[in-house]
Amino acid sequence: MSKRTDEYLSGVPMKPYDLLREILIVLAIIAVIVIVLASVLGSPDYPTVRAQDVANLQPIAYLQTGATILAGNSSIQHYGPPYTEDRNNAQHLFRQAPANWFGVSIPLDPAQDFILKPLARVSVLNGNVTGALEAYQAASTDQQQAWLSAYMAALDNATVIDGQVQIPSGDYGPVPTLMDSMLALGKAGLLEGALDSNVRQPFEYDFTQSLLFFQDDVDGSVAEQLDMSSDQWGVMHETGNYPGAWWLFPYAFLYHVPPMNNSSNADIQAIFIILMVFLFLLFLPVVPIFNRLPRWLRVYKLIWRDWYSRKKSGGSGDP
Amino acid sequence: MNLTEKARQMLARNLPLEDALPTKMPAYVNSAAYLFGAATLAALALLIVTGGILTIFGPGWHHVSDVGRFVDALHFWSAQAFFASLAAHMATKFFQAAWRHNRWKTWVLGLLTFGVAVFAGLTGYLSQTNFDSQWASVQAKDVMNSVGLGAFFNTMNLGQVITLHVAVLPAVIVLLVGLHLFFVRRDGPVLPIGERDEQAH
Repeated sequence: MSKRTDEYLSGVPMKPYDLLREILIVLAIIAVIVIVLASVLGSPDYPTVRAQDVANLQPIAYLQTGATILAGNSSIQHYGPPYTEDRNNAQHLFRQAPANWFGVSIPLDPAQDFILKPLARVSVLNGNVTGALEAYQAASTDQQQAWLSAYMAALDNATVIDGQVQIPSGDYGPVPTLMDSMLALGKAGLLEGALDSNVRQPFEYDFTQSLLFFQDDVDGSVAEQLDMSSDQWGVMHETGNYPGAWWLFPYAFLYHVPPMNNSSNADIQAIFIILMVFLFLLFLPVVPIFNRLPRWLRVYKLIWRDWYSRKKSGGSGDP
Repeated sequence: MNLTEKARQMLARNLPLEDALPTKMPAYVNSAAYLFGAATLAALALLIVTGGILTIFGPGWHHVSDVGRFVDALHFWSAQAFFASLAAHMATKFFQAAWRHNRWKTWVLGLLTFGVAVFAGLTGYLSQTNFDSQWASVQAKDVMNSVGLGAFFNTMNLGQVITLHVAVLPAVIVLLVGLHLFFVRRDGPVLPIGERDEQAH
């Protein structure tokens, strides 16, 4: 043994030990547990929410999503950094908004990037879209908003007959043509590809736009049904009856207490608290009073019960 | 200066083979509480092996292959075993005040490993390419963006997520665990509370 260990353990009785044997036995036990659980229970694999499924099964929700984005009402439209320049909307704490320090690194304009640009590509295949796009872009912003408001109100009373969305007649301008084209894009299974295509085609690894498209209401309602929403402690859930990230319980808990439970800065507040707790634990060895907690809790008496009982009985300590 | 000579001397001074691979242990090391560290290491080994197989066959393999699905399940339950063992290990080390007698470096390295492991767990969820990752990616982006990390880590960029999960974070974890084990074996198990308390800090 090293001089350091010899000095530290001087006078302490030793017992025979086999490190590798112990590690191999523990490995075998853990492996058996894991293999049994994997064989019997499998793992969660709930399918993704695809635009094609939404377009076919919930076409009205699909159209509402598209119209909301085009009207500039998606949650990303004025999100702030890293997506838009709306710096006042970045989460802040103690008058600091870390997102603003690094600016807009992933520039997004949802109305343009999620709706109008994909439609511009479709227009090559469909002349009606070309005309509708020109009419829409030639109109004033007020006129565009009037069409979209009327269209979205009409969607509330829309019906689906034989897979076709029927909306009450009204003055919606070119909006129905644009939205029907978006719906057709979804039904064809081409929406994600149209959103995520980048300059490095055919390679793709960044799915920011297609993931953001349905994040507000559609994904949210699916998550709600699967007990995955924030209100349902979704941070530490998996789909189905599987244990999730239960180790995030302290973090998830913070979202259910003031001020985080009713704050537009909940994320940065929760992260700040977790960071402070982590730093506290990191420095626990030198934090007065708290570093003596284990002595008062006396759980160590249980862990070393053999040692203390041996000493109490006046034994030599030899195992 | 001969660097190899220096390294050899450092290892001989700090971690001779008798300490690295011990065949005797202090009598007070006699509790199941001492097994949680080994259990965490075992689960980490299983995570690396099953994760390595999943990496070789690609991120979509477990959706289309029964074998892939089983390996994915092994990886999932290995992660559960890892965090369960780690939580138990951290709790017992707290109750033992295992940072005493100048063992604070071991404590700090263990906590840092836990912190990186939580981030590795997140990237694991984001790598599943199912609804869990679809939902988690748009939720987690708000958290990353709120603290400014969104400029460097985009939870919706699968290329970045998978690279972090299968290469960068495991490498950091293995490095931290390696350093943790170095100090564990160099210093030996801390004496029970009450023994040489005058040297406790």
